[in-house]
Amino acid sequence: MGGFLTRYGAALAGLALFCGFALASPVFFTAGNLAVVFKETAFLGILAIGFTLALTTAEIDLSVAEVASLAAVVTGALVHGGQAPWIAICAGLAVGTACGAANGLAVTVLRVPSLIATLGTAAIAKGLGFMLTQGVAFVGRWPTSFTGLARGNTAGLPNLVWWLAGVGLAAWVLVKWTRLGAHLVATGEADEAARLAGIRTLAMKRLALTLAGACAGLTAVLLASSLSSAAPGMANDHFLYAIAAVLLGMCMFEPGRPNIPGTLFAALTLKVLGNGLVLLGAEYYWQDIVLGAIILASVALSAAGMGRAPFVKKLNFRTGR
Amino acid sequence: MALLALRGIGMRYGAVQALAGLDLDIAGGEVLALCGDNGAGKSSLVKILAGAQAPSEGSLALDGRETRFRGPQDALRQGVATIYQDLAVAPRLSIWQNVFLGSELTRPPFGLLDKRRMAEASRGFLARLAVGIADMDTPVERLSGGQRQAVAICRALRWEARIIIMDEPTAALGVKETAQVLDLIRRLHAEGRTVILVSHAMGDVVAVAQRVVVLKGGRKVADRPTGAMRAEDLAGLVLRAGTE
Repeated sequence: MGGFLTRYGAALAGLALFCGFALASPVFFTAGNLAVVFKETAFLGILAIGFTLALTTAEIDLSVAEVASLAAVVTGALVHGGQAPWIAICAGLAVGTACGAANGLAVTVLRVPSLIATLGTAAIAKGLGFMLTQGVAFVGRWPTSFTGLARGNTAGLPNLVWWLAGVGLAAWVLVKWTRLGAHLVATGEADEAARLAGIRTLAMKRLALTLAGACAGLTAVLLASSLSSAAPGMANDHFLYAIAAVLLGMCMFEPGRPNIPGTLFAALTLKVLGNGLVLLGAEYYWQDIVLGAIILASVALSAAGMGRAPFVKKLNFRTGR
Repeated sequence: MALLALRGIGMRYGAVQALAGLDLDIAGGEVLALCGDNGAGKSSLVKILAGAQAPSEGSLALDGRETRFRGPQDALRQGVATIYQDLAVAPRLSIWQNVFLGSELTRPPFGLLDKRRMAEASRGFLARLAVGIADMDTPVERLSGGQRQAVAICRALRWEARIIIMDEPTAALGVKETAQVLDLIRRLHAEGRTVILVSHAMGDVVAVAQRVVVLKGGRKVADRPTGAMRAEDLAGLVLRAGTE
């Protein structure tokens, strides 16, 4: 029973939250509102999956949101300037991936701890975003071949939900069912043992950070496509949410470990919470306060599992006692 | 012919001569103990045999053919597995994940992990070592110290290692677990595998090794069969050898 609660307790709490909002607000459980929640979850989920992959190798990527903002304005600038959508999309993905690769090189070649390296990348990405736009947003009537990427439905579900499902499934298969994924996990779990067993641990860290950047790039493209606009700093609201999703996700399914199902379910839970609070008339700032409480509680409550996680020791997430 | 032959092995770190002119023949199937005080050169020798470090001078021959190890993985491929005291296992990973660490099995058509086959093979390796653990999904951190050593040995068996180097395998263990590890070594010996046991525990050494090599100041100062040797004799040998 104790094991069951550690594994599924947080997920059940999320489910209870969902039911609670459905009962308390007549609007919550309508198709329109749920579609909004799921679309918001898609942006957060894809960004957080990247964060999860980095954390799987015991590296933390604090740059995902700023990198996504930069990739979004690059994409937006190109679409706005009349470039073919596929060029803009590729550019957005490339910017994200390149930033991720830069993080990987900073961590594995320059040997800068990821906590610091990605903070540096975040600042650079932020500056570049403002340089490119001079602080102005690109807004316009963009071609539907671009906006259709994130808007509209396919087979009865919002396109964004399909994107999230695709990325989530791919990441889950990668981590759980491939040799590469096993090597990512081993790198995060036991760096030295993995290296002695012939796993190229530095390459694994580079790969994970690069994938985190690629996820940020995809989030950016989908954001720009969905909103038909791009502005510097547009993805920044997702930063704390992404961290909270990963940490709360570590309280679910595989306690103490970054895991894809946990991240996805936690992302949904957080967006349900934000949406429900608004529907029940709570002021917007409550979202931030609740988010902060969840970040603290996630790490504190899953202490048993998380305290022994290698990255926690490495980053000094938890203070010694 | 010796399975593994070392000739004139030397290791220098800057001004420090950790090993000098070491000749050593290791026969197939023997349990050889490597003893010596701290700083005698044991860990330098282990690193060389594990492929973690290239010797500054001298040569290695496997089956009479000269070879060198370009890294730990290369040594493994050539049949030499090293089990380090602290770094042998990934604690939070399961038994089968540890046994197949870095050399996972996949199955067609998509090349996805074949978890069932890895679990079954791990169970088979553990059975060969007479270690009974029911669930191969158990994280290694939940096992006893002796069982963990067994899991680390299973990884060597998975590589079909002919030579298994064990670095202080009983240093952190209690009496019962130490007995279990010594039993593991006897079973490897019975399988015809060569074991190089690096240990400070003289009692363990005389219990399982057929031959003991004593290092001092980077040189081989004694090389003799354990025969009827007692732990006290060996301790005396380690202390006195090379001084007279």
